[in-house]
Amino acid sequence: MRMDYFSKMKGASKSPPPVSGWEIFLSWLGSFLGIGAIALMNLEINGTSDTTFVVGSFGASAVLVYGATKSPLSQPRNLIGGHILSAIIGVAAFKICQGEVWLAAPLAASTAIAVMHATKTLHPPGGATALIAVLGSDKIHALGFLYALFPVGVGVLVLLVVALIFNNLWRTRCYPEYWL
Amino acid sequence: MRNEPTETCTPVEISDDDIYEAMREMSGYLDITPGDFKEVYVRAFQHAVRRLTRAMRVSTIMTTDVTSVTRETPIRVVAELMAERKISGVPVVDEDEHVVGVISNRDFLAALGGYRSGTLMKIVADCLKGSGCLAVEVRDQRAEDLMTSPPVTAAPDTPIVDVANIMAQRGINRIPIVYPNGKLVGIVSRADIVNSSLIG
Repeated sequence: MRMDYFSKMKGASKSPPPVSGWEIFLSWLGSFLGIGAIALMNLEINGTSDTTFVVGSFGASAVLVYGATKSPLSQPRNLIGGHILSAIIGVAAFKICQGEVWLAAPLAASTAIAVMHATKTLHPPGGATALIAVLGSDKIHALGFLYALFPVGVGVLVLLVVALIFNNLWRTRCYPEYWL
Repeated sequence: MRNEPTETCTPVEISDDDIYEAMREMSGYLDITPGDFKEVYVRAFQHAVRRLTRAMRVSTIMTTDVTSVTRETPIRVVAELMAERKISGVPVVDEDEHVVGVISNRDFLAALGGYRSGTLMKIVADCLKGSGCLAVEVRDQRAEDLMTSPPVTAAPDTPIVDVANIMAQRGINRIPIVYPNGKLVGIVSRADIVNSSLIG
């Protein structure tokens, strides 16, 4: 084994600078409003006891679209495309593997990453969306491919609309960097 | 040119601290490390150098007042012309001003020395050995008998770096510049390239 293999593990660069307190506040407020809008929508449909439509990966998307607005990973193409493609792949993996979750789970996540790369829609929360399609509740499984449209499609659309409205209110922010 | 100038060109030295400070000045989280940014910067700089270098066309440095001869010009006249103008080579053109060959010092040396790699000292040595002046034997030849043909030419919009590369690869010292229809418009020598700001 060559020595530079191990020296690679030391890391050569350094961590980016911290953001200002103001930025931290904006990230907090934006994500509160974005996730809040989805939670309210779920409340209207399901009542307080059931949070099926607040998909866990929305929290991860909130990190990006309210906390790292400049990142290519956070742009609308990636947010919408990454989630919807991954949701379809997750449901398909669950159906193809017929309940063999140990196989469906890695297949869903890895295929979602490959497809997001190939379509230039890489969005890390998409991996979670695919995995949730496999590991989710019976209620999620019962949705079938509808999962990609609702709750996933509608949920990310809410996140996007809130991000467009909120991020552009401030002098230091603008969103998106690009659409397609 | 064996090394692309862009590869050997070191960009303005930018430190990791410079990048870190710049990133700090920009508000919002940037998900790139200073190290990655530096690599982007260095590569972008090389592309910029390449683009600017290639933007310099040979037409801006070529000599347009070209001394040329025809196929039928006696080599005595060619030699006189080159001596008079203090030039080491001339393009040979046909009646339509199309370049058909080039005659350089080297072609004369080869003719006098009897072989392509003839050197001045070989000829001097032969003269001193008493075999007489070799030039007399080729006195009646014409330009087309000595010229190197087909000629290596370039278009006026060729980047200077490309012309320099051709000269280095072919081991030649001057390239006639011709229009796409083959008509002579100028000539560029190694000296023209050295004198241009490209390499200065």
